[in-house]
Amino acid sequence: MKKIYSAMSVLVLLSMILAACATPEAERIIETVIQTVEVPVVETVQVLSTVVSTQEVPVEVPAERVEIRLSGWASSPSETALLESLLYRFSVENPDINVRYEPITGDYGQSMLTMIASGTEPDVFYLDISVFPTYSQEGVLLPLDDLMASTGTSADDFIPALIDGFSFDGSVYGIPKDFNTLGLFYNKDMFDAAGLDYPTDDWTWDDLRAAAEALTDLTDPDRPIYGLGVPPDAGRFPIFVFQNGGSIMNADFSDTLLDSAEAVGAGEYYTSFRTDQIGASPADVGEGWQGTVFGKGQFAMVYEGGWLIPYLTDQFPDINYDVVVPPAGPGGEGNLIFTVSWSISANCLHPEEAWRVIEFLTNEASQTTVLESGFALPTRISLQDSEYLATNSASAAIFRGAFNGAVPFMWGVVASDVNNGMGQGIERVYLEGMSVADSFAQSAAEIRAAIEASR
Amino acid sequence: MSATSSSRDSNSLSDRFIALWERMNRPVYYVILIIWAIIAIAPLYFTLVFSFKPVASIYDKPLYFPTPFTLENFKTVIGAFDLFPRWLLNSAVVSLVVTVLRVLFCAMGGYAFARMEFPLKNLLFSAMLVSMMIPGQVTLIPNFLVIGPGILRNLKIGDISIPTGFGLIDNLAGVILPGIVAAFGVFMMTQFYKSLPKELEEAAMLDGLGRWGIFFRVVLPISQTQLLTLALLTFQGSWNEFMWPLVILRTPANFTLPIGLQWFRGEYYTLYSIVLAGSLFNTIPILILFFLFQRYFVQGIATTGMRDV
Amino acid sequence: MTAQALQKQRKHRRRSEALVAYSFLAPYMFVFFTFTVFAIGYTVYLSFTRYNLLRPPEWWGLEGWKRVLQDDLFLTKALPNTFKYVLIVVPVQTVISLILAFAMDQKLRFRRFFRTMYYLPSVTSSVVISLIFIWLFSPQGVINQVFGLHINWLNDVSTAFPTIMMVNIFTTTGTLMLIFLAGLQDIPTTLYEAASIDGANKVQSLLYVTVPMLRPVIFFVVTTGVIGCFQVFDQIYVMTNGGPLNSTTTVAYVIYKWAFRDTTIKMGQAAVVAIILTMIIMVITFLQRRIIEGSGTSEK
Repeated sequence: MKKIYSAMSVLVLLSMILAACATPEAERIIETVIQTVEVPVVETVQVLSTVVSTQEVPVEVPAERVEIRLSGWASSPSETALLESLLYRFSVENPDINVRYEPITGDYGQSMLTMIASGTEPDVFYLDISVFPTYSQEGVLLPLDDLMASTGTSADDFIPALIDGFSFDGSVYGIPKDFNTLGLFYNKDMFDAAGLDYPTDDWTWDDLRAAAEALTDLTDPDRPIYGLGVPPDAGRFPIFVFQNGGSIMNADFSDTLLDSAEAVGAGEYYTSFRTDQIGASPADVGEGWQGTVFGKGQFAMVYEGGWLIPYLTDQFPDINYDVVVPPAGPGGEGNLIFTVSWSISANCLHPEEAWRVIEFLTNEASQTTVLESGFALPTRISLQDSEYLATNSASAAIFRGAFNGAVPFMWGVVASDVNNGMGQGIERVYLEGMSVADSFAQSAAEIRAAIEASR
Repeated sequence: MSATSSSRDSNSLSDRFIALWERMNRPVYYVILIIWAIIAIAPLYFTLVFSFKPVASIYDKPLYFPTPFTLENFKTVIGAFDLFPRWLLNSAVVSLVVTVLRVLFCAMGGYAFARMEFPLKNLLFSAMLVSMMIPGQVTLIPNFLVIGPGILRNLKIGDISIPTGFGLIDNLAGVILPGIVAAFGVFMMTQFYKSLPKELEEAAMLDGLGRWGIFFRVVLPISQTQLLTLALLTFQGSWNEFMWPLVILRTPANFTLPIGLQWFRGEYYTLYSIVLAGSLFNTIPILILFFLFQRYFVQGIATTGMRDV
Repeated sequence: MTAQALQKQRKHRRRSEALVAYSFLAPYMFVFFTFTVFAIGYTVYLSFTRYNLLRPPEWWGLEGWKRVLQDDLFLTKALPNTFKYVLIVVPVQTVISLILAFAMDQKLRFRRFFRTMYYLPSVTSSVVISLIFIWLFSPQGVINQVFGLHINWLNDVSTAFPTIMMVNIFTTTGTLMLIFLAGLQDIPTTLYEAASIDGANKVQSLLYVTVPMLRPVIFFVVTTGVIGCFQVFDQIYVMTNGGPLNSTTTVAYVIYKWAFRDTTIKMGQAAVVAIILTMIIMVITFLQRRIIEGSGTSEK
């Protein structure tokens, strides 16, 4: 036992020494990482195999550097490599600024809130549009208009729906870094087998329904095939409401319209797929996400965002599919925009330098790099004619979705209550057989109570 | 109980059951143990199998063997950031320091509660129990303030600013500090020491040893099994800790292993094969440790001759 | 010696013993006061405020308390679910781990092998175990394939919560078994010898020797089991996020939801719930201390 104690104490001493020496090395290590990722990220997912060489290239840096802390949630290793390569390019062109990249690999919301509450938040960070109302109202974001003017960046350079989403009280508080919309993904082989024409951008609700009916095949009980995936998901359902001429919330988010005739009508159309057994939720076929079901060929069509594209490449490379803009309903076209901005903290000590980082990361060159990597869509209008989109129809369809009838995925301060209301509203119809009108009325009441409580 | 009754003698129903049990109990025990062993190992076994299968076959048969076989997932985990060895080191450092300190300090505290009398003892013990009952979500922010920026910001006397926090953000020491003692550990050691027979300590006291002497020379060696149990639990808890290191550590090079491995959970979907491979990296070091220290669990107080192994 | 001098000596001894005790407790006191006491005070303060973390807290008096005690989610889902959870999981995991520990204490072969196997589930972090279980219990996953079932474990209102319970029992049993085992091995064989000399059979020695000697350990296991189960969070956070239809929402999850997850952050109310939860656990723990430890019989 004594031997263990002495071994332990040596180990502890060693570890404490190591811990003490450990921290100062951090910066150098980051520079190494940034420098190794100097491979142009043109191939999509194969980036990983090229991020291996570790060459330490000495870089001359001026003595006084402004430190900018930049944070966001951690995405896949390949996307992180992409961001770090951009940051490296920035550091080469701007040697007076040192960007510390501090990815948050866990609960982003919790970490950000903890940092803001304790006054230790980063200078530049990701901001999702769904929490934008909460953050912008509380004055934790820096208005960017003056900074934009100083570098000649105009709000008009960006897709209107996006930049408007991140504006509040007449000022811009975030530059959208990328976005996603929903597209109608369809399985080409299944359409061919059923002898149907492929969907087009001009499809309507009727076309959708007819196709779903024709494509459903329930003859094999172990492998049922449904025409359309209809999950009880607040990130999918709202587009049907927009396509029916309605809205989820009113203009200033002070009331909900979930119990309006348009919303109920959309709900009845949406849930009718499952009731009539020509559609199903992923849970019905034993999955958590309809993207997987689509990949396996058990849903002929799904409404999903651009994130499905790399997933299918990774997990289901053999599937033959394409994407169109969601079919229009009686009220026209409708779509949801999921977007994230780069924002600056109101307490940032070096706003000009922070702005230079953002400006670099969202300029045309950087956005083109990101686009060509296949990871995300650019937010600058000028890039809509780029070659990449011309050659990638799936991504192009997602990009097109941002223009007609697209609404940002933002429901004001009570967004989480609204999302719960929608999700549970549909779940109650599915699992408890409630009528859409009753279920949505219940959800609307809950949302109104939440709005009241938040005053 | 009369001294004359023995199992040979009486023929009552309960005695016959007990006799039957005595003959049967071995196989029954084995069955129980084997069933639970299968249940216990199944998830990890399947994790092992599927971490060797390519990402596209995550749900495919065969279930019990990794065909097709690939090392791609492990290569992805190790190679992705060049930081994997560093994370391993960070986790090892934090867990080792926390374990050694916590076992020592909890044993000290447990011994005090179990054997000594002092004012406010009951109050402190109850307060300790209560401290275990407070949910972690609300203690996150106050603890963060204490370790980091301080409870009151910009507290100054004249020109000197007074720190009200330790300022250990992004530092492994900040991860370690709140963990050097835990109410759970003190509680556990208290209960263990309470159920320990007092004879040895009383003998030592007669020999003239003070409390500290008794503690280090008699009590600690006797409670080897319990100390190792606590050490193992502490190490594993610290090794797997997530929420606290997540808010304290900022630079990727300072991450501990669980934080680094979380990098593979995508925003919209999870490639489980890679996550499973990563989780094995997290698990195997602890398993190795457990194997190594196995025999010390069995030793106990063989030296005193008061019990056999 | 005079009676007075004797008294003085006793007082001196008690004082020095108290000093020694405090020196033994010094590290614990440091952590306790720096972190725990401050955190408790901070939480109590927050429970009387309206705080969304983005701007400083503002005083709200008892409004937060009123709202929590009238809240639908808290009263109709979180509280009942949590109690259900504790009442099922604690007995099950205690009994299973006790049986296993007892079986392990017999002089059977392969003990080391079994001990390692049982410890395996506890070795992995709860987050990772939850991820593994999501994958195992997914409708196309291994469990359904092995047993030929078609149950949608985590998305079905009737099976989601039991699945969470299973994950928890699975994880903690190994650890608790280790603790029981350590306690069982502490019991001196001389006591068993004395008992059998007195003519006790196995059942009687189990009842009159093992269980009483194990009392402090049983109290420990049940108490920490209760405390842990009341605070169950990790598995729900990773696997179901309180759903489907709030069937897996517990009190601890509500705290997280109101503190960090909702877009309308209600940190003050989260603090209220934390205090209520702590008080509930306190009451139950002290009740069971009476039952298990008995009054003052902990030292023989």
